[in-house]
Amino acid sequence: MEEISLVDAALKGFLNILHLKVFLAMLVGVSIGTFTAVAPQGLGTPLVYAIMLPVVIKWEPVTGIALLIGASSVSAICAAYLPVLFGIPGGAGSQATILDGYPMGQRGDARRALGASFMAGGLGALIGTFTLAVAIPLAKPLIYLMGSPELFVVVLWGLSMVAVLAGRRPLKGLIAAALGLLLATIGQQEQSGIMRFVFDLPYLLDGMSISIIALGLFGIPAALDLALNRLGVEQQPVPLMGKLFDGVKDTLREWWLVVRCSFIGVWVGIVPGIGSQVVDWLAYGHAAQSSKDGGKNFGRGDVRGVIAPESANDAKDGGDLVTTLLLGFPQGVSTALFIVALLAWGFLPGPEMIKKNPEIIYSVVWIQGLSGIIGTLVGFALASQLAKLAQVRYSIMVPIIFFFVLMGAFSVTRDAADLLMVVGFGFLGYFMRRFGYPRPAMILGLVLGGLMERYLYRSMASYGFTWLARPAVVVLLILATTSFFFAVRGRMKSSAVKIPGTGGGDDS
Amino acid sequence: MTANMTLFMVVVFAAAIWWGWEWPYIAKLMPVYVSALPGLVLALVQLFRDASRWEVRQAGVGGSIDMDDSHRGVADKRVELRRTLVFFAWFIGGALGIWLLGIIYSLPLLVFFYALVDGKEKLSTSVIMGVCAYALIWGLFEYVLEMRWPPGLLIGY
Repeated sequence: MEEISLVDAALKGFLNILHLKVFLAMLVGVSIGTFTAVAPQGLGTPLVYAIMLPVVIKWEPVTGIALLIGASSVSAICAAYLPVLFGIPGGAGSQATILDGYPMGQRGDARRALGASFMAGGLGALIGTFTLAVAIPLAKPLIYLMGSPELFVVVLWGLSMVAVLAGRRPLKGLIAAALGLLLATIGQQEQSGIMRFVFDLPYLLDGMSISIIALGLFGIPAALDLALNRLGVEQQPVPLMGKLFDGVKDTLREWWLVVRCSFIGVWVGIVPGIGSQVVDWLAYGHAAQSSKDGGKNFGRGDVRGVIAPESANDAKDGGDLVTTLLLGFPQGVSTALFIVALLAWGFLPGPEMIKKNPEIIYSVVWIQGLSGIIGTLVGFALASQLAKLAQVRYSIMVPIIFFFVLMGAFSVTRDAADLLMVVGFGFLGYFMRRFGYPRPAMILGLVLGGLMERYLYRSMASYGFTWLARPAVVVLLILATTSFFFAVRGRMKSSAVKIPGTGGGDDS
Repeated sequence: MTANMTLFMVVVFAAAIWWGWEWPYIAKLMPVYVSALPGLVLALVQLFRDASRWEVRQAGVGGSIDMDDSHRGVADKRVELRRTLVFFAWFIGGALGIWLLGIIYSLPLLVFFYALVDGKEKLSTSVIMGVCAYALIWGLFEYVLEMRWPPGLLIGY
């Protein structure tokens, strides 16, 4: 296959998205992403991906990518509604927004807080996209040094980060990841043809559907949260007052803060193991520490406390995609499911994709940038209407989630076993969450398990054990060990952080 | 209760090792040596921690933010248990309904009855929701996308 230059790939990637169906898919994705970000307790991107996965993998790749990226990009931009109106997190990455967003809402500046959030989020998304676009040509020369052994080490590196990502419960994170790896081996082994854990059930021959597992693990606990807490009935929002444009002016005045925090977001996205749960807190802490007044107004409705976390949270998506597309290992559940979609379309994310399908990577870049702009415009244009959406009662939301979870699961193979699986993983998701076993770790194990086995098999078949002595493998192992060591040490040193409830399950 | 969850993990990993032990090396490398054996060891350590209430004693020491969001219950544990059981009953009922009646009838019915009975929505709101669910599942999937859903065990269409 003839390789094309990156300039040609960027152009082709742009031409790929100039189709009506791609635009329509992006708009549908933006609408779904907006709804799930604004709807009570922020259903989160992982659930959207899990629901849409069985549908989009039957589409053409760029159309499916448009829907998925459109949904995830906008859901970060519109994630401020719940923190500002209800004082509850709208998902991971927008938790710190509560500290100043909610006091602003209480004093009658909810619109101003939302305006600042949209503007900062839109600018952050563009900076994240720009970083992704720049990272591709920079990474390409390095990518050519990588074969199966190096890729195996990269995947191992990604998996080792589970211990770090699992935060306060590294042991439970590793157990969950081991369970994910185990589930990934169910079915007929590609290399030997041996049936593993199939129990004479034809349904299990091709392995378990990650989509069904994700639906059960994330959809059911999200719906249960709504049913338990009865949002919209037992919890009421602050009134939507103030001016959106005041928030825009605030953000433009604090442009340097937006740039700094956006790069914090990009850095969190790129570096394995930091995770989306901390991005907003890092940006918030930076904003408070670097403010000229010593941060004395932070926590009392200071608009900078909204601008900082929102710009970082939105820029992080671009950083996430750098690692996902260029190295091939996910940074969270959403990117893990995005990898599953890419694999279903026949792309192998990572070095192979840069070599063989760079135009698809650039299509992702274009879609990411465009949907960031559209998401910001949607936020401004429909602020009042979306605020009403945030007040939808649990009694309407729960059956909608039931509908999509059951339909999404049943559409995978249309077998009754799909239903049994989604019920089973619904229970597992409930108990894992209740007893502190991180579900994203299990999904990471599930997605990376197949890749790990493939690269390990190829390495052993081609080089025996000598692959361990390849210079690039040694360098990557040193890098992985060093980053793992420093990340773990950093976590152990950090003081306990108590978050006022985390919601949404948006651990993308 | 946490120990029960860990015990479940121990059983899963132990069963996987027992099942895969006789497989050729190439087939058992990932499931047995990379996943189940380390998983079993880690789960046993966790079981010891659960039994000795290690995590409770370590709460707030040297920690950081969790990777996953945490369970948000309600203050009254009896209310929480009742709402949880009712929730799962609806969910399992919906899955059973699809198996018995087919997805085209059961999902709109689930949406309608949940909104009306559990959510205490008005009859008109519940009917509109049910009709919308029917329109989406039949109109979009069966009619527009021509994606044929299988019939239920009791009702064909």
